[in-house]
Amino acid sequence: MSKIDLSLSVNGERHEVRTEPHRTLLDVLRTDLGFTGTKENCLEAECGVCTVLLDGAAMNACILLAAECQGREVLTIEGLAREGGLHPLQQAFIDHGAVQCGYCIPGMILAAKAYLDEHPSPTEAQVREALAGNLCRCTGYQKIAEAVLAAAGELASRRT
Amino acid sequence: MSFEYHEPTSLAEAVDLGARFGADARFLAGGTDLIIQMRRRKIAPRHVVSLRRVPGLDAIEANGAVRLGALVTHRALERYPGFHGPLRALVEGAEVVGGHQVRNAGTVGGNIVNASPAADVVPVLLALDATVTCVGPDGERTLPLDDFLLRPGETAKRADEVLTATTFAGLPPRSATAFLKAGRRRAMEISVVCVAAQVTLDGSGERCVRARIALGAVAPKTWRARDAERALENQPLDPATLREAGRLAAAGCQPISDVRASGRYRRLLVDTLVQRALARCVERVRGQRP
Repeated sequence: MSKIDLSLSVNGERHEVRTEPHRTLLDVLRTDLGFTGTKENCLEAECGVCTVLLDGAAMNACILLAAECQGREVLTIEGLAREGGLHPLQQAFIDHGAVQCGYCIPGMILAAKAYLDEHPSPTEAQVREALAGNLCRCTGYQKIAEAVLAAAGELASRRT
Repeated sequence: MSFEYHEPTSLAEAVDLGARFGADARFLAGGTDLIIQMRRRKIAPRHVVSLRRVPGLDAIEANGAVRLGALVTHRALERYPGFHGPLRALVEGAEVVGGHQVRNAGTVGGNIVNASPAADVVPVLLALDATVTCVGPDGERTLPLDDFLLRPGETAKRADEVLTATTFAGLPPRSATAFLKAGRRRAMEISVVCVAAQVTLDGSGERCVRARIALGAVAPKTWRARDAERALENQPLDPATLREAGRLAAAGCQPISDVRASGRYRRLLVDTLVQRALARCVERVRGQRP
């Protein structure tokens, strides 16, 4: 199969990639570009560990062809912390002990970010629904929900 | 997976590619089914034709009649302000699909072409008497959704045709819709049974002028409970009539037993959910401002 040239925008930076057309965004992020914060697990859009934001919307990178992402903005967990330090969601996950084995956490945080960007003051039930596509097999959902709610509060206080 | 990737920028170009590669090609919409089937090696197309750059396929048009472009995502359905009134079942069907990630990717057109008997938005479209439009080398054709769906994974779409849109007429006054789903848990779950209902009441708000009942996961394809619908027409929608509709729908469906539920349990669910969905429609019509 012939290779194709892709120009991908990841975390605000352009990356030129020459690859086979069947490769997924997940594949290219992890193997070609070294963004291993995006995790790989079920490969069937069930577990959410590969969640990235594509033009701001949470997507499963395991079922997205890299070729489909040309001209769109990809945000991975590596792009979340700004110079000022960790993103409030990242800090809240640490402060609330929401991280156990950690494997689901990049996806959890990005799914939560996409949701909070549009719903700045959610209820706990809304947070849980927002994270329905992200599985934590350590089953630490309670602290994860608490961390997201705390981050929402912190983000709100920064806006005022 | 191994294939050539194509990204046509017009419908004509997409149709040309479909004509050139025929059954060797698959059109790619959201990928939530197609990519997974390819990874499982159930299908191995040599050409994948992404529709994402074909203009207009992601449009929702609602002026009287409603036209949903094939690439309208579940998320777009959920958010469309015009669907939060009498057409609310569209939102209710869309918002129970997968998690946010899947709803951001999965499309109405892909959901129809995938032809899963357990699809959630398809029964809603069936209850709205939707039609499906396909464009191929011989031009455009439009057929009823009910005829388009054949059996699990199979539709009347030819390999060289692109499904471009699904369309339905606007509802008359005093109409409502409702969608209910039973799964083993609330999120990320394939339906054990789902039901979509559409009811139009007469001027008095008592008698039923039109009823539609469509069910998922109880037959080889999404299924209209026509006997139950007929039992409702021109009747007052009192509890006895709703019970009869539930009984007829349960008697007419052909559910299988599988890992999710037994056929017998599915029939019990159909009986109950049909009554509940109809009752919800009646409540919604009566709650509308005249």
